[in-house]
Amino acid sequence: MAFLQVTRAVSTDGSVWRTNRAIVCEWGRRMRIWVLAVVLVSAAAAVPAAGPQTLVYSWSGNVGPLNPHLYSPNQMFAQAMVYEPLVRYTAEGGIAPWLAAAWEISADRRIYTFHLRHEVSFSDGTPFTAQAAKKNFDTVIANGRSHSWLALVAVIAEVRVIDDHTLQLILKQPYYPVLEDLALVRPFRFLSPAAFPPGGQTADGIRAPIGTGPWRLAESRLGEYDLFLRNERYWGFRPKIERIRVKVISDPNTCAVAFQAGEIDLIYGDDQISPFTYMLFRGDRRYSSGTSPPLATRALALNSAHGPTREIAVRRAIQHAVDKEALVKGVLLDTETRADTLLSPTRPYCNLGLTPRGHDPALAERLLDDAGWRRTDDERFRSKAGRPLSLDLCFIGKSALQKSIAEVVQADLQQVGIRVLLKGVEEDMFGKYQKEGAFHMIFNDTWGPPYEPHAYCSSMRVPSHADYQAQAGLPMKADIDAWIARVLVSTDENERRRLYREILSTLHDQAVYLPISYTTGLMVHGPDLAGVAYGPTRYEIAFEAMVKKQAATGLSPATEGHHAQLHP
Amino acid sequence: MRNYILKRVLILIPLLLTVSILVFLVLRLGANDPAMAYLRLSRIPPTDEALCAARQLLGLDRPWAVQYLDWLWHAVRLDFGNAYVTGAPVLARILYYLPNTLYLAGVSLLMTIVLSLPLGILAALNKDRWPDHLTRALAFTGVSMPGFWLGFLLVMLFSIRLGWLPPMGKGGVSHVIMPAFTLALMSLCINIRLMRGSMLEQLNTRSVLYARVRGLSERRVMGCHVLKNSLIPVVTAIGMHIGEMLGGAVVVEMIFSWPGVGRFAVSSIYNRDFPVMQCFILMMTMIFVFCNLAVDILYAWIDPRIRTGKGPDACI
Repeated sequence: MAFLQVTRAVSTDGSVWRTNRAIVCEWGRRMRIWVLAVVLVSAAAAVPAAGPQTLVYSWSGNVGPLNPHLYSPNQMFAQAMVYEPLVRYTAEGGIAPWLAAAWEISADRRIYTFHLRHEVSFSDGTPFTAQAAKKNFDTVIANGRSHSWLALVAVIAEVRVIDDHTLQLILKQPYYPVLEDLALVRPFRFLSPAAFPPGGQTADGIRAPIGTGPWRLAESRLGEYDLFLRNERYWGFRPKIERIRVKVISDPNTCAVAFQAGEIDLIYGDDQISPFTYMLFRGDRRYSSGTSPPLATRALALNSAHGPTREIAVRRAIQHAVDKEALVKGVLLDTETRADTLLSPTRPYCNLGLTPRGHDPALAERLLDDAGWRRTDDERFRSKAGRPLSLDLCFIGKSALQKSIAEVVQADLQQVGIRVLLKGVEEDMFGKYQKEGAFHMIFNDTWGPPYEPHAYCSSMRVPSHADYQAQAGLPMKADIDAWIARVLVSTDENERRRLYREILSTLHDQAVYLPISYTTGLMVHGPDLAGVAYGPTRYEIAFEAMVKKQAATGLSPATEGHHAQLHP
Repeated sequence: MRNYILKRVLILIPLLLTVSILVFLVLRLGANDPAMAYLRLSRIPPTDEALCAARQLLGLDRPWAVQYLDWLWHAVRLDFGNAYVTGAPVLARILYYLPNTLYLAGVSLLMTIVLSLPLGILAALNKDRWPDHLTRALAFTGVSMPGFWLGFLLVMLFSIRLGWLPPMGKGGVSHVIMPAFTLALMSLCINIRLMRGSMLEQLNTRSVLYARVRGLSERRVMGCHVLKNSLIPVVTAIGMHIGEMLGGAVVVEMIFSWPGVGRFAVSSIYNRDFPVMQCFILMMTMIFVFCNLAVDILYAWIDPRIRTGKGPDACI
């Protein structure tokens, strides 16, 4: 009882709460000190601004050890900064001299003789000679199994050194895209002989990433950044910018935020930001933005060997049912242009004047009716002999863009009575579906230059590609494969044109692809950056032509390439 | 106590072995093929020859049992193999990134403790008055707000609008403030509520009343009787928060491009880099077990009833 009285006394006279308020005040004082400390630290923490001699770019991961002859985790854009090819692919689709100043091709197209530039040296000072080039060719050929996708590796019979600056490639058989394959970012680029590993095979790794290119890799901090310095021994145009810091930013939203906060100077590429984010920047007068010329084709492959898409009428109806114009406007926000053919007419041998298949739902319905796919008044979807007209459309589940496009295609096809089931899968599973032909419709982008048309068409003969699987049901598939085989070894330009016309017009006629749009690279930068241009391929970034205005004393001569279509 | 600790440490051996087998099987039972991921990352068309070469390169062409035993044999000697994607030793890479994650989680934990205890006390001592309402509202909002959204809101405000803090990356102290706060907020809010509830409970116990009756100073009553006893559930929660923070760091590290082991693990999962995933999960298991052990020891230190094994009335 006494206990209860004491409790009441303590609680009712308010002394406890007065004491509590004193404690609160003390805590308040302590917290104020903490808040002040945090504010001071924040204020002291100035964001390190990159100087005029440093350009800051971002990439989803570190650039890797930069072995010029291997693949992942070496990043292609960085390999292209450090290593150079004998010849270079131009924006017009041609081939230009680079480390090789000139070349001759024998009459039987089996011997290529390259005359190397005399003034070239690696960034470690080692001269670039025919012996150094041969050492690189030999190690690539020795590791041929890793390059089985590239026909040239298997076609080279021998590499000969004629003199210090003359190199000969002897082929087992004629192969017309030799120069195109030599222009690729990998594997035919050149590492300094001093940077080869003790065993002499770069498949085992390299000592250091030393090439002849305008940049050299100076520092890599895992998960943070890679730092490139200007190669002061560079034989070509000297970049105005001294350093390129490539920050590791794996999330596209973070990339956009980092750009807005001034942490990076440049957004450049075909998957760095979404079209929506790009349009936000484009509407902001503080930034310059632009899109590249067509890089590749965004397309759906329609399986001619499986399900209702085996019928050409269904495939053709799909072409007319999808409103590509609305899709480009509504989903891609006009960052890409509508595609009417599998390969852009700007590619070599691809300007064939093929007739586009426009949006015409009535025609699509007629085609389906004529083919026996009919629907009764109370049915939404068509059927034939009890079989419903139902197709699956596979896309990469995490790709918001593919999902949006798939939904539009689904809605458009539903209008003409085709039921579409969307299948969003993981990227590797998606690859497996493509490889095994387990689809009716699947996203299947083309490869872009310099792979188009020769390497891309060549892959159509290999069963592991969606292209092969999509074409497998065509009655003339064997002919297509034979034409492709012939075009690659053809030595006659006119015959090559004729064969490419046969191949591409047959594919167009058979409607095994639904070309949607020509993909573009998106580019955004601030007003202090000039000379930003799109290179001829999506894998190379011409940093050497860029200038930060504070550092500029005049623009450096731009290498060949497209200037992006700049928007104010 | 020593036997208890020894026993808990020894349990780790069968636990890690079981986890390693489970992880190994779960990874391989999936339909995903690391060779396919390797070719995708290398931009090599997945021809049968290329797949075969990639499988051979990655050691995936051997039977599962051989792969596991080979991995285990090396793992017991702390050799967790090389990453499929980079070819670098897995343990070295994880140990390279781990300090960054521990730094981030450590700062978050510090924020949680430093902010949640006074706010919880403030709320308890001002029950049903405006500081209490304010703290409860904050706690409710904080618990409900997903980390990825909060992260971007903070960046929008402090990096883009005000320009006070860097939006990403690791550098000085300023770089850690936003990611640590994002990571800490949920634990912070849970702890505020816990501290408030626990403190209110303690304020109404007989021991506190008797302490006051004994004429002890209010500071002593609050410090030795209320605060210390109120901390017990909070300490238990903090043990769980460490796990949450290491797990939550995965999202925060992606948003803020923080070079930690969480982001490394995410990219490894995406790339089907089995050796990295196996090592990461084992290491996280060990960290969880040791954190729980540390909490149990701390718990026993704070509460003598646990240490002595006597009942709840032992100290009254």
